[in-house]
Amino acid sequence: MGLLQFITRRLMLSLLVLFGVATIVFMLTRIIPSNPASLYLGPRARPAEIAEINAKFGFDKPLIEQYGQFLKGLARGDLGNSLATKRPVTKELGSRLAATLELMSVAMLLAVIVGIPLGVLSTRMRGRLGEAIVRVATVVGVSLPPFWLGLLLQLVFVHALGWLPAAGRVDGSLRFTAPITSITGLNLFDTLVTGNFVAFYDAFRHIVLPALTLAAYPIGLITRMTRAAMIEVVSQDYIRTARAYGVAERRVLNHFALRNAVGPTLTVIGLTLAFMLTGTFYVEVIFAWPGLGSFTVRSFLNVDYPSILGMTLFGAAGYVLANLVVDACQALIDPRMRLA
Amino acid sequence: MRKPSTLVRLALLVFTAVVVGVVSAQSSTVLRVASTAAVTTWDPSLSFSTEAFYMANLYEPLIWANAAGSDEQFTPALATSWELSDDGLSWTFHLRDGVKFHDGETMDADAVVRSIERHKAIGGAAFIWEPVDKIVAVDDLTVRFDLKYPTPLDLVVASSNGAWIVSPAALDAAEEDASYFEAGIAAGTGPYMLAEYQPDAEVVLRAFPDYWGGWGDVEHFENVVIRIVSDAVLQEQMLLAGEVDLALSLPVTSYQSILDNPAYNVQTVVTPYSYLGFLNTLRAPLDDVRVRQAIAYAVPYLDLIAVGAEGFASQARGPVPQGIFPWSEEIPQYHQDLEKARALLAEAGHEGGGFTLHLTYSAENAIERAFAPVLADGLAEIGIKIEIEPLLWNQQWAVAKDDPENAQDIFLVLYWPTISDAGSDNLWTMFHSSDAPYFNLSYWKNDKFDDLVDEAIKLTGTDRDAAQALYLDAMDIVYDEAPGLFFFDYGGWFAIPTYLAGYEYNVNYPFATFFYPLHLAN
Repeated sequence: MGLLQFITRRLMLSLLVLFGVATIVFMLTRIIPSNPASLYLGPRARPAEIAEINAKFGFDKPLIEQYGQFLKGLARGDLGNSLATKRPVTKELGSRLAATLELMSVAMLLAVIVGIPLGVLSTRMRGRLGEAIVRVATVVGVSLPPFWLGLLLQLVFVHALGWLPAAGRVDGSLRFTAPITSITGLNLFDTLVTGNFVAFYDAFRHIVLPALTLAAYPIGLITRMTRAAMIEVVSQDYIRTARAYGVAERRVLNHFALRNAVGPTLTVIGLTLAFMLTGTFYVEVIFAWPGLGSFTVRSFLNVDYPSILGMTLFGAAGYVLANLVVDACQALIDPRMRLA
Repeated sequence: MRKPSTLVRLALLVFTAVVVGVVSAQSSTVLRVASTAAVTTWDPSLSFSTEAFYMANLYEPLIWANAAGSDEQFTPALATSWELSDDGLSWTFHLRDGVKFHDGETMDADAVVRSIERHKAIGGAAFIWEPVDKIVAVDDLTVRFDLKYPTPLDLVVASSNGAWIVSPAALDAAEEDASYFEAGIAAGTGPYMLAEYQPDAEVVLRAFPDYWGGWGDVEHFENVVIRIVSDAVLQEQMLLAGEVDLALSLPVTSYQSILDNPAYNVQTVVTPYSYLGFLNTLRAPLDDVRVRQAIAYAVPYLDLIAVGAEGFASQARGPVPQGIFPWSEEIPQYHQDLEKARALLAEAGHEGGGFTLHLTYSAENAIERAFAPVLADGLAEIGIKIEIEPLLWNQQWAVAKDDPENAQDIFLVLYWPTISDAGSDNLWTMFHSSDAPYFNLSYWKNDKFDDLVDEAIKLTGTDRDAAQALYLDAMDIVYDEAPGLFFFDYGGWFAIPTYLAGYEYNVNYPFATFFYPLHLAN
């Protein structure tokens, strides 16, 4: 199967998955006892106003009819309006997407550039103290509840040492001293491209703690997975042959072994992306990061179901897409993989 | 001499830029604030939630209600003077001349009439305008309110919600597009303009150069950057790390450490936030007044204050919060008396209790979450078992209103008045009878109480003392009939850095922080 054919087929299947997700979440959010009109209007809305909003948005219609309306809107890319902010859900998601993408990208970059070398290193130091240290560190990384880690990092680096800021993407007064010209919405990228180093430094300081909190689990996971895959690969004949030919150990591991061991790690990275998206729920709340995660938490607390639905669909789409990209990458990296 | 490498030059550039940035940040007139205040709408008519925090800086009412203990009850805002007709049915307000809206429009009687009419028609707090029959622009700078019945309109026009005066051009735009304001548009006369808004993240206010109050007397802040932070602990971290100048919701547990910190002045305040519990009077055994009284006697009020409010509260006297009309020290209150409680239960045929009550509270409210188990422990002392169920406020309210006879037995609620008249608000809204339950979630009906409150509302505008006397009688009935449990009026405290001056909390605008009076000390 060619790559294009594979992607097309997977995308079609993904639509089915998303349809299923949309249906389940729609039904779940509607069976929770809640009064969407009173949420929209506020706690002291008068009965006549509630009736008007019910009629306007169709909250008083049978569930199946509301579901039909929802699907029609979905087909047009209209997820409805947030009950809490009264703005279109697509606009709400769009305005927060860059913040979350930036956080996830930095955390993933951190996880990959730390996790894979650590996995290789622990293979190289098998049976020695260094491996034991890496193993303990990765177990700690995987086991620590991230919300606890986030608070701990704040306590140490903000409260005790005063090195890093506690919250937000940039300092509140930065817009007056070194305003960021938004190109992509990714502050680190935009500030670097425009040469705004003051803002870059500020944005970098702000992202360190949330990214570290979000990356802790993936670092542990990627390290463990790389190590396991490497151990399997290095026991194979071609590695023994390479060593017999006198190829340097570093080259054997980094060039021959890692290339073949990275496949399972890539799968883990794909799964980790989904973890990261849900991980942003608490990391963004802990660090007041204005992204999709904090928006989702608020939507859940408000039973703001258009927003819950929007975010769930977005998350599911992201998850499906990430897996698709990982599978495609695996096929490109390792020709032995079949696209199916 | 060897030239520095590219890397070294880049590092020097970054360092220089950082130093320049830091220095300029310290010299700019920016006030940085952390607040929990999310924005549910920018529409000044629909606004009836936490965005009141911003509204009070962007818009102005005709008059401001002063904090309790002030020499005058009101401060002129867009109206410079006002008078009431002899029959109490007509209020006339004389407007300030030469006031501009942020969009350049002129504030006049027509703008006032249109603003109030819109609030009355679609407002989140539209009910406050219920007594108003019509609003008339007498001339360019005079507005007359004709009432259906006498009412304290001075308190209504000074409301913290639904009384803002809005630019006519913005009202025109909102007529064309109902969501006009939601893009982050404000068009008031207040000292600050809405400069930027990032939902759930940040609001930036910028000084309005043409503000009628002027900017010359003290060094006001030119810009106010408000970071929306829902977590109190995080706000504290930000304050202590110097990321913000003001953090307005600090953990109550940090009071002592902040008090001991010489960098802050601590202000303790009385707020209008009352914590109470509705008893479902439609269901046995709470349909028996003796059982309700027994419960009121069993409540461990002081423990609730200690656990729920960390001591920052005073025991409530009925449904009216301290510092707000018609609160009085004459209002009777229950104190824990377990013997009396047991005797009342026995008299009602429930000796030793032996029944279970279902209590709901708002899951988002940490204070209710903290004190609900303490309340249950207190009632266990007289043999009443409490099943506690946290529900999201929206759900809790929906369940209570949909089917009262099968709803909860005890409904914990946090309540505060919209206007500084807790008689027409708290008493009427929470305990006046109605066909369908609205906020009377004890579902209690008492004709005498209804009559007294209705009469008091009519008298408040013309004879406040007589109204107060009627309200006291009404609250005696509430005390005797015990349709609700009145736990405490919540207090609060604010940590103001010693380099800031001008901070003042106004109980009439509990969500608002007024940035205009704030300035650097010295």
